Amino acid sequence: MEDYLQLKDISLSYHTKEGEVLALKSIDFSVQKNEFVSIVGPSGCGKTTILSLIAGLLKPSSGEVLLDGEKITKDTSIGYMFQRDNLFPWRTIYKNVSIGLEIKHKKKDAESLKHVDELLNKYGLYEFRNNYPSQLSGGMRQRAALIRTLCLKPKILLLDEPFSALDYQTKLSVCDDVHSIITKEKQTAILVTHDISEAISVSDRIIVLSKRPAVVKCIQKIELGDIETPLKRRESPKFSKYFDLIYRELSSEKEE
Amino acid sequence: MKKKNKNINYSKEHKKYLKKIKVDKFTTLLAQILLLIVIVGLWELLTYVGVLDAFFLSSPSRMIAELIDLFKNGTLFYHIGITLYETLIGFAIATILGTLIAIILWWSRKVRKILEPYIVILNALPKIALGPVIIIWVGAGTGAIITMCILICIVITTLSMLSAFLECDEDKISLMRSMGANKFQILTKLVIPNALTEFVSVLKINVGMSWVGTIMGEYLVSKAGLGYLIVYGGQVFQLDLVMASTLILCILACVMYLFVGILERKVRKHKE
Repeated sequence: MEDYLQLKDISLSYHTKEGEVLALKSIDFSVQKNEFVSIVGPSGCGKTTILSLIAGLLKPSSGEVLLDGEKITKDTSIGYMFQRDNLFPWRTIYKNVSIGLEIKHKKKDAESLKHVDELLNKYGLYEFRNNYPSQLSGGMRQRAALIRTLCLKPKILLLDEPFSALDYQTKLSVCDDVHSIITKEKQTAILVTHDISEAISVSDRIIVLSKRPAVVKCIQKIELGDIETPLKRRESPKFSKYFDLIYRELSSEKEE
Repeated sequence: MKKKNKNINYSKEHKKYLKKIKVDKFTTLLAQILLLIVIVGLWELLTYVGVLDAFFLSSPSRMIAELIDLFKNGTLFYHIGITLYETLIGFAIATILGTLIAIILWWSRKVRKILEPYIVILNALPKIALGPVIIIWVGAGTGAIITMCILICIVITTLSMLSAFLECDEDKISLMRSMGANKFQILTKLVIPNALTEFVSVLKINVGMSWVGTIMGEYLVSKAGLGYLIVYGGQVFQLDLVMASTLILCILACVMYLFVGILERKVRKHKE
């Protein structure tokens, strides 16, 4: 299979008055089309930085990022989801999810508008389209945030701990929700998280990073068979085996 | 979105609670009105029986007589009109110009850094000290008064709006950028609407400040206006005129504040 997203020998340094900090060192991995990949690592190791690089918000000091064989530019369509939903409180749900179309000047494009309506309908937000974010529950808001990214038909979805601000119960159901939408829409997704269970429950592969300067420590393939939802995947007997594996990788990091 | 539903059967305890709130609100209002009546009544009474000298303190009845006089000779609305005109023009120009400067400072980090010390000094400077300079540069007329009003409002407008613009959530800016938004789109679709509540607060501050500016300006140079009446009244020892003009100022500032209050309620509706 062809590599869809490629990170080739990426290094990145931060410059401050006090000096230079090497954040990422020779990061090299690729993601296949329609694959769900998670990145885990000790806090502050630069997981979010990798997403910013893929989104083109940051430029690497060396190396290059290729998506679908092309370099990332300002016009590359990328979907980015954050820890908080970041819905704009002064806009209705409809105006929130269609903000990408406004930015790309496609507000009058009939096909794009149809796509917005379809997504809202399909994922149960159509009847709330004239409501304001403050009137929706946390789970629904996060779903609206996901639809906002899907409206632009992104080539890849970047998820930066999108569940960590939710309480445990909501987190599990929203995780199921988001995972099923991403699968249905046949999206390629990269999830950054510090929650090992969450990573195993949604991913095809998990990339473990070391502490700063971050290098790829190992890449673990997750094979839990044809279990559909993340919640059910948590019950699989192999689940704890993977958990142990990744937990050991991460804790060996701390002892060094 | 929650609509009031009168048909809901509240428990006895809840009804009691609602009643307590109502009573509390009513007694506060009653006390406020009574306080006003007592002050006005005592003022009138003590000046009437001669304990206090109405020549120095004026009195409510004399103020009203003065107002009727002004109304009869047709100058009341003339003076009100002039001061109101100066204040509203000054208020509008300062608010718009101050916000525009804040936008420029938000846009360019470099310009912001360069101008920072100058803005700090301008903010600390007592603007009234510039009075003579303004009169020489702009001329002793309405222009000078409006300039004074603008000077007093504009620095605080710029500073407040700039800090509101800069407070905008980094994540939201990243989100806009990840969707390919340019700086102008980030400004108009995110940063400005996000600062709307702060803008209303600035309007509220400027209501007060613009009156200060205009009256100060009228103290310096004027041939008409409420500030002129107050200065003139003071010079010829007509306390009735001074007090009556001050009363009108109070009322005008209140009305302007109420308008901003209505605007505020509209804006705050969809704030998290």
